[in-house]
Amino acid sequence: MAALVEMDQIVKIYPNGVVANDGVTFSVERGEIHALVGENGAGKTTLMKILYGEERPTAGVIRINGKPVHFHSPQDAIRAGIGMVHQNFMQVPSLTVAENVVLGKEPTRRGLLDRKAAIQITEDLSRQYGLKVDPEATIDSVNVGMRQRVEILKILYRGAEILILDEPTAVLTPQETTELFKSIRTLVKQGKTVIFITHKLREVKEISDRVTVMRGGRVMGTLPTREATRESLARMMVGRDVFLEVSKPPRERGSKVLEVRDLTYVSETGRYILRGLSFNVYAGEILGVAGVEGNGQTELVEVLTGLRPATGGEARVMGVPILNCPPRAVRLAGVAHIPEDRLTNGLALEATINENLIVDRYFRPPFRRGMFIDNQVVREHGKGLIETFDIRTPSGELAVASLSGGNMQKVILAREFSSRPQLLIAAQPTRGVDVGATEFIRQQLVEQRNRGTAVLLVSADLAEVMSLSDRLIVMYEGQITGVFPEASQATEEEIGYYMLGVKRQSPEEMEAYL
Amino acid sequence: MNLLRKSAVREFLRILIAVSAALILGFVITLLVSKQPVEAYRAFLLGPLSRFNRFGDWIEESITLTLVGLAVALVFKSKQFSLGAEGQILLGALVSGSIALFVPLPGYVRVPLGLLAAMVVGFLWGYLPGYLKAHLNANEIVSTLMLNTIALKIYDYFLIFHIKPPNAGYNASETFTKDGILPSFVPALPFLADLRARFMSQTNITVMLYLAVIAFLVAYYLMYRTPFGYELRMIGANIKFAHYGGINVKRTIVLAFAVSGVFAGLAGAHLAMGIHTKLIQNISLGIGFEGIVVALMARNNPLFVPLSALAYGYLRAGADIMERSSDVSREMVLVIQALIILLVTAERVLPVIQQRVAARRNAQPTPSLAEGGE
Amino acid sequence: MWELVLRGIFSALFVASVLRISTPLILPALGGLISELSGATNIALEGIMLVAAFTGVVISAYTQNVWLGVIAGMLSGVLVAGFLAYFHLYLKADLFLAGIAINIMATGGTIFLLYVLTGDKGSSSTLASKAVPVVNIPIIKDIPVLGTILSGHNIFTYLAFILTWLVSVFLYRTPQGVHLRAVGENPEAAASLGIDVRRVRLGALLLSGVLASLGGLNLSMAYLTLFQREMTAGRGFIALAAVFLGGRTPWGTLIAAVLFGFFDALSNQLGSLAIPSQWVQMIPYAATVLALVVYSLRQRAQAIERARRFQEKHLAETHATGD
Repeated sequence: MAALVEMDQIVKIYPNGVVANDGVTFSVERGEIHALVGENGAGKTTLMKILYGEERPTAGVIRINGKPVHFHSPQDAIRAGIGMVHQNFMQVPSLTVAENVVLGKEPTRRGLLDRKAAIQITEDLSRQYGLKVDPEATIDSVNVGMRQRVEILKILYRGAEILILDEPTAVLTPQETTELFKSIRTLVKQGKTVIFITHKLREVKEISDRVTVMRGGRVMGTLPTREATRESLARMMVGRDVFLEVSKPPRERGSKVLEVRDLTYVSETGRYILRGLSFNVYAGEILGVAGVEGNGQTELVEVLTGLRPATGGEARVMGVPILNCPPRAVRLAGVAHIPEDRLTNGLALEATINENLIVDRYFRPPFRRGMFIDNQVVREHGKGLIETFDIRTPSGELAVASLSGGNMQKVILAREFSSRPQLLIAAQPTRGVDVGATEFIRQQLVEQRNRGTAVLLVSADLAEVMSLSDRLIVMYEGQITGVFPEASQATEEEIGYYMLGVKRQSPEEMEAYL
Repeated sequence: MNLLRKSAVREFLRILIAVSAALILGFVITLLVSKQPVEAYRAFLLGPLSRFNRFGDWIEESITLTLVGLAVALVFKSKQFSLGAEGQILLGALVSGSIALFVPLPGYVRVPLGLLAAMVVGFLWGYLPGYLKAHLNANEIVSTLMLNTIALKIYDYFLIFHIKPPNAGYNASETFTKDGILPSFVPALPFLADLRARFMSQTNITVMLYLAVIAFLVAYYLMYRTPFGYELRMIGANIKFAHYGGINVKRTIVLAFAVSGVFAGLAGAHLAMGIHTKLIQNISLGIGFEGIVVALMARNNPLFVPLSALAYGYLRAGADIMERSSDVSREMVLVIQALIILLVTAERVLPVIQQRVAARRNAQPTPSLAEGGE
Repeated sequence: MWELVLRGIFSALFVASVLRISTPLILPALGGLISELSGATNIALEGIMLVAAFTGVVISAYTQNVWLGVIAGMLSGVLVAGFLAYFHLYLKADLFLAGIAINIMATGGTIFLLYVLTGDKGSSSTLASKAVPVVNIPIIKDIPVLGTILSGHNIFTYLAFILTWLVSVFLYRTPQGVHLRAVGENPEAAASLGIDVRRVRLGALLLSGVLASLGGLNLSMAYLTLFQREMTAGRGFIALAAVFLGGRTPWGTLIAAVLFGFFDALSNQLGSLAIPSQWVQMIPYAATVLALVVYSLRQRAQAIERARRFQEKHLAETHATGD
């Protein structure tokens, strides 16, 4: 009998040339819970977007129940019985649970919304699938776990037989995760099929029947979960596809520049995102932070750069405290920051390149002369940096928006590096950057390190973080679970185990090396 | 200036097209309603240049418009949509007018005092909504609209109950004495006496002309040559970037509102001590909103505000002249203004027109065309 | 003297006058509410009211039929709102600036046409325009006090209250209303469910045009049966303030609008006693600013409180589990 869902040799190439799916064949049997795992960028989200009609494949066929289908939009997928629960919920806060569930397909009576019917529908579905919700509560008053259940009810209401859950536990507490798994089992008992996207191996083992591992846009293997171990899965998921040759002369590590003690951050929704992190970064070294995205790295960087308040703990740069300070104070303490999201934070597209280059120094001489800004100095400063960093542009007076992605990143680098920081924090510095600029950026990071700057490098690109770092720590679920004093001596499998929570070191083991 | 050179030219062209289209439409309207459309429209387009006193009116109006335009451009540049110019103008007029009427000091002290007071009041009346926006994230459109009305009530109250002479028929103050009005822009030097007499008999252009030029320079320098101006522009370009880079966003926003108020207050002083030389009801007449048009046409760049104010003021003056010498009322210029705003702010107008033209040129016989449709 | 004032206020006539004065505030406020909830702030209510007031007068004068005037007025409101919607939704004009443009065009255009048609720039008194009927409810009209308050208003006043109820039903009890609120709060979510965001906003703007036009017609075809230049006198903006002051709900908007009307009526009373009315008139505006401040402060306090509660809860939890 044909599988319920068959995706045959799916290829997806984006307009900018990125190959997200490279001949992926993926199938799901009726009534199974199928886990789809892989690191960020492995292609699993793209594959599911194609299945859900949000993207069209460049090549390949999708078959539902043996029949080929062509989805032009999610509405088509919904009609074919496919529903997807995204990571960010598509809900209207002031409407009730029931109203959200039926939104777009409301039951009516004489032209009016039949509230009782909506509540009844919600209650029936809730009971049938074991998804506890309060139909009359407004969405902005319920917790995340219930909001997720509402999303599931929404797609069930529209007749979903195949449910795609995209990293559902990313926003849940452990208790809520247990609840969710109970619900998933009930769904399957009622005849539904679930595709579960995750990078958390523990969950794969706990909930799934079969698991497919993707890496670099390809399928590395599909196997029944009972035949897989977390180690074997980690090995399939993590690997170096690109061999990086980065010359890094050995360096004596200098004095302690960044000292972090017991750093804690609890989000507004009550999730523990950073749990008592403690580590140091020394002058003249690159401390890499490895880990799958979503384990607190983003928040760690934001807390250390003044963009987010910390809930507890301490951090000092050369003895100067930097937690819960405005960004300028952090910068004045000698910290530079290459942000993860360069377009949101790192640049002002409408402003000129020269203007972007001075945001951290415009108020000081030589840029500031008395009450004014010396534009001549600004221009010369820009010219110098453009040359040094090989930013491809005819003039520094053009808007940043005119640059390519890689050159935009170079502008950020030029600015942050030239501030001669004590501590450089680089978050995903080569993400989305073309190959040529990537090489350049990596060389520049090492250059900074050679000059004695302390560098904190956060990267989900394992190859990158392994080859650039002197020391390496791994973050998992808001904690440091492993430290590698000699990054060059570790293997990617080993680090992969730590990244995926398969292995962890005890605090005593790590203490000496942090 | 600070944009891609190509896109700056494109912007200018777009504005030019918008203004031309609006003027053409205005002519069409004139054709429909007037018995002598050509004469009427000629008066409109050429009127302000025909006689000296008309020219003078144009310049006076443009001075006020420049100041208001600068006020709006400053605050809009930081992407804060303060509509508070109207209220700041009123209070500026009130305060400077009161000083002009009641402070017994010689003219050369009284007038600058009035100007200063107007600027201070404008600063304060801008600081308030600025603070609310920056620190409480209070919607500035609502708050400034409310404050405008409050300012109007304050103005009316003082005018009617304290300033108006007791037996006056209209709600207006006495005309200011020589010590309370802005002197003519021709200095009172002996060898200029003749020139001065001639100018003063024809027009009312005051030293505010020079002050407006100074204000323009101050605004320009402020925006493009000072740290504050840099901060303001970066906040307008990307507020998250400004914060990430270390700019004190809250403080800058408050100051943007407040400094904008200074220029608006000054405009109010000009209305009181320059143009009307007394306090009347409705002294501002919606000029706060017209400042928005001026700033919009100048793309919120102080450098182009005077040009934009002159252009806009020209249209207004022309409309006045048209009304006096033909059967077309001056309100038509308001329709033209509105069309200009709509066409300038509709970013897709040019692309849409381009698409249509391109489609026609490449048109294959499509079913709809065959049916005679569009 | 104060006795006189108080006695004046606590009279049936005063309450009736409040209702009368509030009508041209309630109607555009309802329109503003609908468009606001869909995510498109209609700042052109003022202009739409003006155009409708003018059109109603002109058409009713030339056709000598009051209902044709009303219908023409409503159509004109829809047209202007449609114009605004087209420029914003399809030509990507900034809604705010386009709204200002509409207001300017309305002010200028109505005076211009007034002059063309009557040779008078001040008012249309030379035109014999019609008035909508006054409703004298049988039986009720004879009850003392209550009768004066409830009966004898023109139809727009009754319409204002009925429409508040209808708008409430629309927004909370019909699918289209729910879609409208969804589009305003989370357009992405609405779109993901197949709701056409642009079409919903277009509909919302057109509806707001209808309601605003009713407010405008109330000005020129009820107690006054003529058009005066700029006769809306800022009511379109007060309407927006009422939406906000009323917490963006239909009944809240109604109450806020009536509140503005109350102070307006009050200031009239005081005016007749040579008390500066300006201070009284100022009250609702100052109140709106205060409401704005209170609202924002509350948002901030809530966020801080939420964060603190969770921190406490989880610090306790970790200690309990000995993490």
